[in-house]
Amino acid sequence: MQRLRLIVRLALRNVRRQARRSALTAAAMVVGLALLVMSRSLADGAHDEWIEAGVRLGSGHLAFQAPEFRARHAIEEHLSAADRAAVEAALADTVIAPHLKAVAPRLEITALASAAAAAVPVTVVGVDPAREPAFSEMDQRIVEGRYLEPHDHLQGFVGVELAQRLRLRLGDRLVLTAAGPDGAITDQLVRVVGTFRTAIPEVDQSLIHIPLATAQAWLGVDSGVTTIAVLLDASWNADRFTRRLQEALAPHADRIAVLSWRAASPELDAAVRMDDYGDYVFHGILFIIIALAIVNTVLMSVLYRTREFGVVRALGLRKRDTALLVLTEGLILTGISGLVGVLLGLAVTWGFFHDGFDLTAFMGDQMTAAGAVIDPVFIPQFRVVQLIQSAVSVAIVGLVASLYPAWRATRIDMAEAMKFEA
Amino acid sequence: MRHLCIAVLLALASPLHAQRTAREIVDHVDRLLRGNSSRGEITMEVVTAHWQRSMTLAVWSLGTEYALIRIDAPPKDAGTATLKSGTEIWNYLPRVDRVIKLPSSLMGQAWMGSHFTNDDLVKESRIIEDYEIAIGFDGMRDGVRVWEFVLTPKPEAAVIWGRITEEVRQDDMMPTWARYYDERGDLVREITFSEYQRMGGRLVPAVMTVVPTDKPNERTVIRYVRLAFDVGLEPSFFSLRRLRSGAE
Amino acid sequence: MAAGPWWRIGWRNLGRNRRRTILTATGLAFGYWAVVVIAGMADGIVADMVRTATGILSGQIQAHAPAYLPDRTLYETIGGNEGTDVPALLAAIEREPGVLGAAPRVYAGGLVSSGATTVGVLLVGADPAREDSVSRLTAALVEGHLPAPGTRELLIGSELARQLNVRVGTELVVVAPAADGSLANDLFTVAGLYRTGIAELDGSYAVGPLDAIQALLVLDPGRVHEIAIRIADPWTAPAIADSLGTRGVTPAGVPVAFRPWTTFRPELVDYANLSAGSMWIVVVIVFLMAIFGVANTLLMTTFERRREFALLLALGATPRGIVRAVLAEAAALGILSIVLGVVITVPVLIWWHYDPIDLGRLFGDFTMAGALVRPVLRTDYPVTMFFYAAGALLLTALLAALYPAFRATRVPPADTLAGR
Repeated sequence: MQRLRLIVRLALRNVRRQARRSALTAAAMVVGLALLVMSRSLADGAHDEWIEAGVRLGSGHLAFQAPEFRARHAIEEHLSAADRAAVEAALADTVIAPHLKAVAPRLEITALASAAAAAVPVTVVGVDPAREPAFSEMDQRIVEGRYLEPHDHLQGFVGVELAQRLRLRLGDRLVLTAAGPDGAITDQLVRVVGTFRTAIPEVDQSLIHIPLATAQAWLGVDSGVTTIAVLLDASWNADRFTRRLQEALAPHADRIAVLSWRAASPELDAAVRMDDYGDYVFHGILFIIIALAIVNTVLMSVLYRTREFGVVRALGLRKRDTALLVLTEGLILTGISGLVGVLLGLAVTWGFFHDGFDLTAFMGDQMTAAGAVIDPVFIPQFRVVQLIQSAVSVAIVGLVASLYPAWRATRIDMAEAMKFEA
Repeated sequence: MRHLCIAVLLALASPLHAQRTAREIVDHVDRLLRGNSSRGEITMEVVTAHWQRSMTLAVWSLGTEYALIRIDAPPKDAGTATLKSGTEIWNYLPRVDRVIKLPSSLMGQAWMGSHFTNDDLVKESRIIEDYEIAIGFDGMRDGVRVWEFVLTPKPEAAVIWGRITEEVRQDDMMPTWARYYDERGDLVREITFSEYQRMGGRLVPAVMTVVPTDKPNERTVIRYVRLAFDVGLEPSFFSLRRLRSGAE
Repeated sequence: MAAGPWWRIGWRNLGRNRRRTILTATGLAFGYWAVVVIAGMADGIVADMVRTATGILSGQIQAHAPAYLPDRTLYETIGGNEGTDVPALLAAIEREPGVLGAAPRVYAGGLVSSGATTVGVLLVGADPAREDSVSRLTAALVEGHLPAPGTRELLIGSELARQLNVRVGTELVVVAPAADGSLANDLFTVAGLYRTGIAELDGSYAVGPLDAIQALLVLDPGRVHEIAIRIADPWTAPAIADSLGTRGVTPAGVPVAFRPWTTFRPELVDYANLSAGSMWIVVVIVFLMAIFGVANTLLMTTFERRREFALLLALGATPRGIVRAVLAEAAALGILSIVLGVVITVPVLIWWHYDPIDLGRLFGDFTMAGALVRPVLRTDYPVTMFFYAAGALLLTALLAALYPAFRATRVPPADTLAGR
C-alpha cells in the first residue's frame, strides 16, 4: 500500500515534470477522441434525421395494421373501432407514452382521380387533420393554399405534379372513385384546398390527403382505419417498443399487427443499415489511425526513456514496480485525456454545429434518398452510450500502448542505460 | 275574384313550375336515347390527329345499370364486346377468346379509341340529382325557339364538370348541343346533335358528334342506324356468358 | 553518392534509428493509405450508384422525337409517322466516342391479364441482344429466358408475376390501344421473370421483343420511341448528348432530342452531391487525424533529440546546418513513407476496384433514390487525392520536424546538454 502510494506519486510527478512529452501523448488521445465524438455524433444525427424523414412519409416508427393489409393492401383489411380502442389502450402504457411524438390514424386506398381534364390512378389517404401535421409535416410542404383543418369536409390536399396533370387549381373539383369493402364502386367529391411538394416524384404525382371522416363515410367503413402510424422521439426506441406492444396486443394478434419501420419500409431499413456499415468502416479506419497515433507517440517516448528507467531502477525500485510506474503514468494520462477529449469533442461539435451541420452548399435545399426527403442540415446527436464507447475504446488503446513501455522498463540493461547518451 | 286568385297562385307558383319544367325537360332529353330498354345499331366514326376509323356497333341497354356493346365491323375487331354491369366493365376479346375485367384504376382510359372514356360508360347518369338546373336563355336563336339550360353541380355532387350548358328546341324537345366546362369556365368538350329522325316510335337525334376542345380537329361521331325501344330485356341478359357468345 | 552532405546525414540518421524510422514511416504510410482509400471509396460509391441507377433501364442518354416528352404518346416516334432507318441511326450513335451501346425501344400503356387478375402496365418492346450492351434488364433475369425476336414472349417483373399469380410458361392476354385506333390484343407467353429490387420497376413493366410489340401496336419496324444509350463515364453524359445533338447523327429531316441522365434524373445529381459532400467531410476528418498523428510523432522525436542537436552545435555545426539536416531527414522520411504508402495503397485500390468488399451477404440489396444499390464498396482511383495526400503529408513531416529543430538550435548547447 505504501509502495503503491509512492508509485502513484512518482507517476504524477513524472507526468508533470515531462510536461511536453505528456502533452504530446495526451494530445494524440484528446484530438483522436474529440474527432471520434464529433464525427459519430454528426453521423448519428444525420442518420436519425434520415430515418425520421423516411418514416414520416411512410407509416411511422411503428404502425398498427390488420395483419393482411401489408400484403393485400385492400380496404377490407382495416382496423375496426374496437381494434383502434385496443391500440389506444396499448399506447397509453407508461413506458411508451412519454416517447410518443405523434399518433396518426389513416385510411389509405388506391383510387381513380378524375377532373375535367383527365383521370389518373392515385393513392388517397384519409387523415385526421388535427393529428396528421405533427406526423407527416405535410403542412410544411405547401406550395399553394393550406393544409387540411379539423372542420374540413370536402377538402383535398393534392401533390403538386398531380394537380398540374389534372390541371387543377385551388378550389377546383376532383372526383375520387374507389371500391369499398363490399366491392361496390363509389364516388367522392373533394375540392383542392392546397397543393404540396415533397420532392419525391412518385409522391407528388399520386398522393391526395382528405379528411378521415370524409374517407370513412365515402368508403362506408364507419370509424375504421387501415393504419395507425406512430412517430417516436427517437428511432432507436422503435424495436424495443414494437416488441412491447406486440406482447400487449397479443390477444388481438389475429386482427392487429404491430410493425416497426424496419418491417414496414425494408428499403429504408436496408439503406440505413448500409449507411451504418459505411459508418462502421469509416469509424474503424478513423479509430485505427487514432490508435496508431497514440501507440506511435507512446512508443516514441519510450525510445527516449531508457536512461530515465535506469535512474529509477538505480534508486531501488523493483522491476515490477517500475512496470507499475509506467502503467500508472499511462493510466493517469489516459484518464485525463479521455475526459478532456470527450469534453472537447462535445464542445467543438456543439459550438460549431448546434444549429446543424449545413451541407446545403453541396446539394441545394433538399434532396431525396431512399424515398425520404432529407434536409441537408444535420443536427448532431449525442448519446451517452456512444460517448462511453468512444472514451473506453480510446482508453483501452492508451493502456495497451503503455504495456509495451512497461514491459520494456523491466528489461533495462542498467549499465547501458546509465551510460552518457549521445 | 276567382281569376285574380288563380293569377296570384300562378304567379307564386311559376318559378317553382319553371324549375320543375327545366328539370323535367333535361331529364327527358337525358332519357331520349335510352328508354327503359333498347336495342340499336350504331356506326361510330373516330377521327384523331393520327388515324381515323369507322366501326359498326350493336348495342343493348337496360336503364342506366346495364349495357352491352358488340363491334360488328371492321372485321379486325369484329366480335369484341363490352359489358357494363353496374359500376363494372368487362371486355371480351375474340382474338384471344378471353374476358377481362377492367381494373377501376384504368377507367379513365378511352373506350375503343374514342373520345369517351370507360368512365363515361359507367357513370350513372344522375343529371337531375347531381345538378341544379336553371334556364339561362329562353327565346329565338337562328329562327328556332330554344331553351338554354345551365346545369351547375350541387355542392357535394361527385361530378367532374364545373358547368354544363345544353340547348333544347322548344317545339319538339330535341337537344341541339351540350357543352361541358371545367371549374374555370373553360370549355372542355362539346356534343352536337343532328339529323333528327323517328326511330323506334320516337323522334331522336340520330347523330351525335363529340369534339374535345383542346383538339378541335378530332371528333367522334355516333350515328344510330336502327333503334328500338322497350324490347323487353331482363337484367339476366347482361351476363358474362352473353358477353362471350356475342349476345345473339 | 551524388547527393550533398545534408541529404547524406538525413539518410544516415534514418538508417541509424531504424526503429524510430519504421514507426514514423508506418504511421505516415498508413495515414496516406487511409486518406486515399476513403476518397477512392467515396468516388466509387457515387459513381457506382449513378451507373446502377441509369444502367437498370434508362441508360445514361436517351434519344426521342422532340415532342415525345412529357406526354409519351404512342404516335410520337422518332421520325414521326414515317419512322426512320433505325439500324443506321444506331450505327451513327455508336460511332460517337465514349458511347458503349445503343438500344431501340417502343413503349405503350396497356393491360396484361391472367384471366382472374388484370393489371395496367407499361409495355416495352426491346431488342434483347442490344439491351445487353445498354441496360441491366437482361442481367436481372431470375427465371426463364429472354423473349426471342419474332415470338410473342414476355419478360415481366417478379412483383407483376406475383400480382397476376403467373409463372414462366403461363399465357397472358396483352391489351393496348394500337396506333391505328384499334384495341390491340394478343396472347403472350411469359418467357422469363426479372427482379431489379425496385418495386415500381418489378411491378409495372412487361417487356417483349421489339418486332412483336411493334406488330401488336401496329407500328412499322422503322418506328421506335426511344433509343437508350450507354456511355463509359456517366459524368460525360451532358457533353456526349450535346455532341450527338449538334453533330447531326440522324438522317436528314429527322429531328431527335438527346437528353443526358442529369436532365431526366435530377434527384440522382442531388444524391451524388450529398454523397460527395458527406464523403468529403469524412475525408477531411481522416486527413486531419492522419496529419495530426504524423505531426505528433515527429514533434516528439525532434523534441527528444534536442540533446543530439546540442551536441552537434557544441561540435561546431551551424544552426542553419542543423535545420537543413533535420529538413533533409524529414524530407527523406516523408518520401520514404509516401513510397511505402503508395506501395500499400495502389494494390488495395486495384484489388477493391475489381473485387470490391461485398456487403450484400450482410445486408442484401436495397434501393436508394430510386436506384438499386448493390452494397459493395468499390473503390475508384482518386487521382487528385493521390497527390494532395502526398503533398500534405510531406509538408506535415517537414513542418513538424522543422519547428522543434529550429527551437533547439536557439538554446545554448550547454543548457540542453546539462538537461535543463
